[in-house]
Amino acid sequence: MLKINDNKCNACRLCEKTCPFEAIAVADGAARFNENCTLCGACVNVCPQGALSIERKQASPEELAQYKGVYVWAECEPKGKAMVPKQVVYELLTQGRLLADKLGQELVAVALGDGRMAELESLCEQGADRVLRCEHELLGTYSTDGYTNVLSAMIAGNKPTAFLYGATPNGRDLAPRIAARMRLGLTADCTGLDIDEQGQLVQTRPAFGGNIMASIVAPYSRPQTATVRPNVFSASLPDPQRPKVIKQVPVTLNKAAIRVKLVEETVLSGEEENLESAEVIVAAGMGCRQGDCLEQAGELANLLGGVLAASRPVVEAGLMPVTRQVGQSGTTVGPELYIAAGVSGAIQHLVGMSSSKRIIAINEDPEAPIFEVADLAVVGDTVKILPTLISLIKDERFRLDFSGVNR
Amino acid sequence: MNIIVCVKQVPEISDVRVNPETGSLVREGVASILNPFCEYALDHAVRLKNSVPDVHITAVSMGPPQAKAVLLRALELGADRGVLVSDRRFAGADTWATALTLAAAVRANQPAFDLVLVGKQAIDGDTAQVGPEMAEILGVPQIMYGVEMELMPNGKRLRVRRESETGYQVLESRLPVLVSASKGETIRRLPSFADILAARAKPMDMITADSLDLSEEQLGLQGSYTQVVKIFPPRAQKECRKLEGLTPALACGEIVSFLKQEKFI
Amino acid sequence: MHEIKSTVEKQIAFSEVTRAEGRECIQSEFLSYLSDESKLSVESCDYIFFPKNEAEVAAVVCEMSRLGIPLTVSGARTGLVGGGVPSKGALMSLERLDRVQALYFNTCAKEWRVQAQCGVSLANIKIMVANKRFSDLESSSDQKLLSALREFRLEPMEYIYPPDPTEMSASLGGTVATNASGARTYRYGPTRDWVRAIRAVLPNGEVLEIPRGKYFASTSGKFTIIDTKGQSRQLHVPDYPMPRTKNTAGFYAAPHMDLIDLFIGSEGMLGIITFIEVALCPHEHKCSLMLFADSDEQAIALVESLRSQSGLQLDMLEFFSQKAIDLLRERQTQETAALGMPPLPEQNVAAVFIELPFDPLAEDMNFARLAEAVERVGLSLDHSWAGYEPRELTRFKVFRHALPETVNHLVAERKRQYPALHKLGTDLAVPDDKLQPMWAVYRQELDRAGLQWLAFGHVGNNHLHINIIPQDPEEMSRGLEIYSSLAAQAVAFGGTVSAEHGIGKLKANFLKEMFSERDIARMKAVKHTLDPQGLLNPGNVFSS
Repeated sequence: MLKINDNKCNACRLCEKTCPFEAIAVADGAARFNENCTLCGACVNVCPQGALSIERKQASPEELAQYKGVYVWAECEPKGKAMVPKQVVYELLTQGRLLADKLGQELVAVALGDGRMAELESLCEQGADRVLRCEHELLGTYSTDGYTNVLSAMIAGNKPTAFLYGATPNGRDLAPRIAARMRLGLTADCTGLDIDEQGQLVQTRPAFGGNIMASIVAPYSRPQTATVRPNVFSASLPDPQRPKVIKQVPVTLNKAAIRVKLVEETVLSGEEENLESAEVIVAAGMGCRQGDCLEQAGELANLLGGVLAASRPVVEAGLMPVTRQVGQSGTTVGPELYIAAGVSGAIQHLVGMSSSKRIIAINEDPEAPIFEVADLAVVGDTVKILPTLISLIKDERFRLDFSGVNR
Repeated sequence: MNIIVCVKQVPEISDVRVNPETGSLVREGVASILNPFCEYALDHAVRLKNSVPDVHITAVSMGPPQAKAVLLRALELGADRGVLVSDRRFAGADTWATALTLAAAVRANQPAFDLVLVGKQAIDGDTAQVGPEMAEILGVPQIMYGVEMELMPNGKRLRVRRESETGYQVLESRLPVLVSASKGETIRRLPSFADILAARAKPMDMITADSLDLSEEQLGLQGSYTQVVKIFPPRAQKECRKLEGLTPALACGEIVSFLKQEKFI
Repeated sequence: MHEIKSTVEKQIAFSEVTRAEGRECIQSEFLSYLSDESKLSVESCDYIFFPKNEAEVAAVVCEMSRLGIPLTVSGARTGLVGGGVPSKGALMSLERLDRVQALYFNTCAKEWRVQAQCGVSLANIKIMVANKRFSDLESSSDQKLLSALREFRLEPMEYIYPPDPTEMSASLGGTVATNASGARTYRYGPTRDWVRAIRAVLPNGEVLEIPRGKYFASTSGKFTIIDTKGQSRQLHVPDYPMPRTKNTAGFYAAPHMDLIDLFIGSEGMLGIITFIEVALCPHEHKCSLMLFADSDEQAIALVESLRSQSGLQLDMLEFFSQKAIDLLRERQTQETAALGMPPLPEQNVAAVFIELPFDPLAEDMNFARLAEAVERVGLSLDHSWAGYEPRELTRFKVFRHALPETVNHLVAERKRQYPALHKLGTDLAVPDDKLQPMWAVYRQELDRAGLQWLAFGHVGNNHLHINIIPQDPEEMSRGLEIYSSLAAQAVAFGGTVSAEHGIGKLKANFLKEMFSERDIARMKAVKHTLDPQGLLNPGNVFSS
């Protein structure tokens, strides 16, 4: 319920200008709202007199029970001429399905975009009971204001109990904005999500650079919101038999509401392979600084059909671009094979790669923390080991290639 | 141009250790520093100050009394005024309560701001939430992950180059706006000794909860939407095969066997 | 009193001491023991012993003495003059004597003291004292010790062990044997000033326990050592005057001197130091400051201005010549992040580095004296780099150490073409009033010879390291000649040929520059009294 304090209101009309839904206007010297109000909260924040408020805290169990459903933001990315859901969405839906089942509630995917949105049926195959397709020309490119306005209205209207976002750059831009607008609890970079006996969403995440884990709940606000990094959960196999329910949702959005303009976009050339989706990664640490050791790490990556990555100190030293950085302030990866060459394994790095399936670590220091997560720990000089390893692998390949011929 | 830079005092995370028995953090011997991303934000503020006339930089920090040290550092590095927002009633604040408090402090101390600069994330919390939440509360647009910033010639719009997943974007917004910085100077700046002495003479305001337009229920733990219910150490060590004291040739032989076994070659 | 009795502690069978035997085995598996930081190396030696306590050290010494096998002693092998490199016979590594044994508050001297075995590294002492955690002591059952530990931890004051040679992995025993010093020596003095007691194993296998302040040379300059068999030997303290500078060349000699000072800095010639008690000093917050000057001469003038400024206390006073800064600037151009510092000011810049007490939270900061000293020579505090947080102090330290590293790197490159090449580094120091004249001599000699050179170091103690970086063997031999004449000049000015590194095996001829034959004979006599067979650390200090 939007509350207006007539005494404080000075009819400045700022709320009128801010409201994305034309739901509030000044009449008889004070603001008045109409049935278009979605309780998104945009006007509350902008009012300089503090005359507007929405009661949200201390929700009673009855009020909390009104919120139902686990919702996932289906963020899309370009694929050819279309915009398709990102891989992380499938991971979230997998986890979301488990949560929804525990609650006995539905799992809903919400996709925002323009006419290019495609492959949304796959979201149903991944476990969504419904997909809400919010299409508008202005949603074709991500914008904080556009997406915040639309999703806030969607949340206010649908009252989900939980809302999940991928902790992608856009996700980390959007989730806190919505949380602030709607006075919601938000937990970032969750590595674990579960439902407790009270039906609360328990959100687990690393803190202090990964030195400790914290379990967090949001007792007073709904929906409970959380972001999850890509490659933290795995996507289960989709079920093509699941019913496909996609609903078009009308979107009201005007251009003036979007305050930040995209002036220029540069997509770096194809050589910048995607770390997040790589199956094999060779990460170069400061132990690779000497001579052509870095190139050799790259060569090793190529030999194994993988991608070259870097630890934070290597990126900070200007030796590799930040797009290759693995770690808590870089990219989280979870490949089948991760080879850490000359990486010491500072905790921020470990947090970014410890869910890799198989880890080989090479470091001169027998006490290097990277060995704590390694399956195979090699104590030795990276500079000497890499070239030897490369030539051994080449030999092995050569033998395998010719083994058929000799028969 | 009136710039606000939010700065946080954080422990030097690479030095933090966990007591394996109690699972709690060992803070002994861990230095407190200016959060590196906040330093980047300050770098950008100072760059703007060096390229645009009439720029005033206010550094704001919410924290315990010791946080004064990072405000002094900000003053040494080019800020003109420091504001310490400190009160026992702020204790236990989550990102929402923090953002609310900082926004209230900004409204109280520097209401006519043009630009709020924050770091991408704090290296102890790593949530990256306070910036956007502050922006929403202050009612200004936001641009995240800025690496370069430029004030447009008319002085009313800011252009920000930022990293995206696939490369770079350049975004533009009217002032006032909040921008988070993910990169700053490659080599951290060094003040001169004269700068260090001069910092002590610059104004430093202390703000408590009483000066803020917030009720008690909005502060600290009371005002937080999220609560920590458990802290525990990260998962136990895994089974590891360690090769030590082998020549490179022998070690690589073992690696290749492992790769073959796991079907990577 | 001038008489001291040596003792025999527990006797261990020699056969129990861990060892490696055989020249081939040692060469293939213990290669790192055959050289030290000076890069001097030998092909192999016959034995390496790894005693784990003083009794085992004594057992080895006795056995080697019985068999007439020369014995070289090494600690962490961080020495720069080959002291720990075996010349023949056997090597004994003291690395296993690595325990801290006690911490206590000495009420007479009102200072905290640490007792440790010789193999504890300075780096470990630094960490233990800074964190106030002594893992070696915490499991003790000695209540007095535990209560001292508790008191130390509860004390709000922080402490340091002042001596700070560049290579902190050095063993405590090694630093005592060489009287090591570092940048902090300007204020706090060398290792000698912080050693309160030692135990030394003599070449005859018996042990001397020497607290400072107990044994003094007689009026006629003698010490008498009486062994357990009742036999007594007399040491005659040489009567040469010691240089008016920081010094590690030759034995300490002074009228009525303390016996402990004879062993400190004796480079292992007289006995093997197995145990040391050192004092700690209260720690103050510091600020590091790099002041930039327009020329070498202006930088030297700044040094004298700072030094003579009353009421100004500096912990460190270091120098970077124009050519040194040029080399660092070049390195920055190739690899921006290499030095971790912003770009150095352009062309023709020399620098003076100081560290001084600084409390970042002090209410009133008054650095007028510093400003005065700086402005007096036409410079300004605006033209400086400064930092006081622990990581900033480390940053400056890394930057300072980057200079010798860069030089070594350059030499290594040239070595590829000429394997016999090495850098020439001087370790000369002169008295205060000779700083400017000595600098003029350096300039004149080295510029005239057209060799690549630079200067840096502890200018506060008039102790500059001149590095000559030869391009080829011809330049190297010319450099060596100049080096000799520079050493002679330093001595003529009342200075020393070795302020910090010691003589070891590499600087024995420099000893002859500084001391007359007669004086060297006096030193040899002291050595001979304690080590008649001449088996302990042969080749060190005295060239054969």
